[in-house]
Amino acid sequence: MSMILSSLILIPLIGAIIALLMGGSREKYSKYVAIGFSAVTLVISLLLMLGVFGDFADLSESFEWISTSTFIMNYSLTIDGLSILMVFLTALLVLLVNVFSLDEHRENNNYFYALIMAMEVGLMGVYTASDYFLFYIMWEVTLIPMYFMISWYGGPRRHYSAIKFFIYTHVASLVMLIGIFVLGYESVEPGMAVNFSFDAIKLGIANAGITIQSLIFAMLFFGFMVKMPSVPFHTWLPDAHTEAPTEGSVLLAGVMLKMGSYGIIRICIEALPDAAYVWQWVIIAIAIVSIIYGAYGCIAQTDLKKMVAFSSISHMGMVMLGIGCMSEAGITFAVFQMFAHGLITAMLFMVCGMTGHKVGTREIPLLGGLAGRMPIYATFMMIAFMASLGLPGLVGFWGEFPVIMAFYEFILENDVIWMLLFCMLSLMLTAGYYLWAMQRTLFGPETTKIDLSKVHDVAHFEFAALAVLSILVAFFGVWPDAALQYIESYSTILMGVI
Amino acid sequence: MVAEIITSIFGDLTPLAAMIVLVIAALVMPGIQMFGKKHTATWAIAMIFVIFAMFIDMCLLVDGYVGYYLGVYFDQYSAIMGLLFLIVLFLVVLVSNSSVETTRNHAGAYYSLLFGATTGMLFVTTSYDLLTIFVGVELTSISSYAMVALKRKDGRSAEAAVKYAIIGGMSTALTLYGISMIYGIAQTTETYALAEFVAYNTEFNWAFMIGIICMIAGYGFKIAAVPFHMWAPDVYEGAASPVSMFLATGSKKMGIAVFIQVFLVMFIGAATLGTIYGEVAQYIFAIIAAFTMTVGNIVAIAQNNIKRMLAYSSIAQAGYILIIMAVMTPEAMAAGMFHMFTHVFMKGGAFLIVGALICAGIGEKISDYRGLAKRAPFLAAAMMLFLFSLAGIPPLAGFTSKFFLFASALGTPGDASGEWVWLAFVAVLNSAISLYYYARVVKAMYIEKGESTEKFKIPAAFTVAIVICLIFVVVLGVYPDLLYGFCEAASWTI
Repeated sequence: MSMILSSLILIPLIGAIIALLMGGSREKYSKYVAIGFSAVTLVISLLLMLGVFGDFADLSESFEWISTSTFIMNYSLTIDGLSILMVFLTALLVLLVNVFSLDEHRENNNYFYALIMAMEVGLMGVYTASDYFLFYIMWEVTLIPMYFMISWYGGPRRHYSAIKFFIYTHVASLVMLIGIFVLGYESVEPGMAVNFSFDAIKLGIANAGITIQSLIFAMLFFGFMVKMPSVPFHTWLPDAHTEAPTEGSVLLAGVMLKMGSYGIIRICIEALPDAAYVWQWVIIAIAIVSIIYGAYGCIAQTDLKKMVAFSSISHMGMVMLGIGCMSEAGITFAVFQMFAHGLITAMLFMVCGMTGHKVGTREIPLLGGLAGRMPIYATFMMIAFMASLGLPGLVGFWGEFPVIMAFYEFILENDVIWMLLFCMLSLMLTAGYYLWAMQRTLFGPETTKIDLSKVHDVAHFEFAALAVLSILVAFFGVWPDAALQYIESYSTILMGVI
Repeated sequence: MVAEIITSIFGDLTPLAAMIVLVIAALVMPGIQMFGKKHTATWAIAMIFVIFAMFIDMCLLVDGYVGYYLGVYFDQYSAIMGLLFLIVLFLVVLVSNSSVETTRNHAGAYYSLLFGATTGMLFVTTSYDLLTIFVGVELTSISSYAMVALKRKDGRSAEAAVKYAIIGGMSTALTLYGISMIYGIAQTTETYALAEFVAYNTEFNWAFMIGIICMIAGYGFKIAAVPFHMWAPDVYEGAASPVSMFLATGSKKMGIAVFIQVFLVMFIGAATLGTIYGEVAQYIFAIIAAFTMTVGNIVAIAQNNIKRMLAYSSIAQAGYILIIMAVMTPEAMAAGMFHMFTHVFMKGGAFLIVGALICAGIGEKISDYRGLAKRAPFLAAAMMLFLFSLAGIPPLAGFTSKFFLFASALGTPGDASGEWVWLAFVAVLNSAISLYYYARVVKAMYIEKGESTEKFKIPAAFTVAIVICLIFVVVLGVYPDLLYGFCEAASWTI
């Protein structure tokens, strides 16, 4: 049995442990450990993506982990077109975050890098697990490093934000856990042991009644929705982002939010397709409210980072909309939007973090005319903003517009053309808040409200991380097929099943 | 192999083997202290006895020994529960010599009482008669009252002991009254005979039910189930930390064992048949369980003393375990027993750290723990893991056992009755609440800044005990099969 998938979890784990133990005088070397281990992980996931290790189907690993008379839980990992992109995104962003963080020195650096690597362990686990028990454990594993990341290295209101983040998402995952219980119990005949592997449950639950399926769907969906997050359960996100350090924000928005949408596709849609049709309109309604409310919220923000946080809510709403269409195009481009948003939002948060760090404030009204002082910074900010608002030729375009196309098909079928208005409104709002924010911060007369004499432009390592992301944003913008081929292979199979 | 040697030594008395070792130990301990005057030597001999008793019990467990001698039934259940109590005893004795709280001048008496109490616990797990169970419980209780009072220089200790003794006496009276009423109506005190009486008696007899309720109340005091929990925080706060640990992890588990052997045995048949007594009993226990966990968790939020917080948290944990009494299936029982084990390690570990910190001169207030991560990184990390395990964060032991326990409330796989789903919901909600107060301690240790940044040392025995607990908290989390199989086997023997 190949150990490739396990190595994706084990290598960051070893990195985390080594970094953790490098206290005292060795502290300054911990960053190289983190970079080394995350680079190896990235190389493995790249090779995996390019098919060097062979077919995805041959790479599955599975062995029975816990088996009692009532439960069978497996340590089983699989990879397919959906998870490979998320794995790649995780490995990429973790490495870039490590590189990005080199320019700044903080107290207890080794803990910082250990937390990042521990987060990678959980994320990799979530994206490759194919057993509910393992999935849940990994889901929770991501929570604790993020809590400490915010509460140790965050801004002034970090304690409040960290605990809010922790409890909010933990309660949601407990609801999800009950959903998993019921799912397991309903999927077997009386007297048999519950096998928690994805495949076994998928087979078993198909025989359950539609009412119970819908109930389970609701519980699981709630757990994922809070993580995404969708309105009205989004309030933890702006707080968490405002207070988190840049590196934490990048990982939180870039890959952790994707856990929610990944869970919806992987578990809710795959295992409970009939129930998904029952809830379809609710999903679409939540998606539309999130898109509009998120975009509307952006306009009102004065904190640059909080604005980007709200834009995440709006863009993740777009993912939900694609999923809600329940068509091949919808799901394909929803996944692409997840990927695209991961790249773009990483750039956005890096840029915003630099604003706070270099200029001293992220308050938009205090900023102005930064382009003159910091040309490279301004360039990256423009690329990120343009990509996020969906400029053709950049990756964001292929996330948003095809989703809206898929939604258009859906509303044609159901004869509700007026819903197109919402889409147009959201596009206008998105373009509006980005352009307006850019105008206020980068252009116009140089601000006199703050002292700009000591402001420096982008530093070396920050430049490297942002440059890599910009290249990828452009690369996948002109050649989306590089990512789409994986997703399509997955969504074709998925549509055959549901 | 080894089990055969033990059988050949003890002969007919094999079911009592571990108890015999403990009784001998209890008798010789004061003598050794009197003549030797060396507390370390006393401690070493006590350790030898404990390890010997544990060894016997483990051999009999692995061998699957079943035996009967004069009303003592020794089976898989007795072996696994006995092991649990002996592990608690082992951890408590291990740290007792190093703890500044346990008076060394009374080492002989202290160990003697510990051994006496544990003998009572082991005796309970082998009895299936209301009267013998009662005797075992009293042996443990009376020893415990004295142990609580042993921290003589602290006024709180004496207050706690008096409170504990008075309330304990009251609960004893209630229990006896209940037993007498039951005997008057059912004409027997054997639990299996009572089970038959309950299962085939379709007429509801109020006097019998009052007897049962008196007994539930009486034994409810022992496990500190709401509304009989008032004594627990005061007693845990007043007693020395090792003793608190013994009470929270050992005595309380004995109370649960009594619940299993008396009430579960009595009502499981009736519950399966669906006759009137079974239904009523299930609902009584479900309500007690729900209230116990909710009150325990909510009141714990308001605590500033860490011992009191842990006391309330163990009230809540008892509430989780009581789920098995409402659900009454073998799966639930196996899960409950497994949770008792994980609870021993996580709660025991937490109390050990509190004890170790008292040795190092750090107070019991949560505010005293500020900045602990800087001063003692290992202790802070261990405490964090214990607390997260108690809150049920994967992949620690507390999560796995809670997972099994809450899942069992949904019924058996494929046949989810749905009757106790609300109980599972209450339990999961409680888990979420509990995270708040556990996280407060973690926050104090890791995030808030303390006044002192001085490093300190703790006694080696504490480190060893904490490491043992830590290993089990992690290992049982990722590999529960280590113990779960035994728990399942035991649940089927009942």
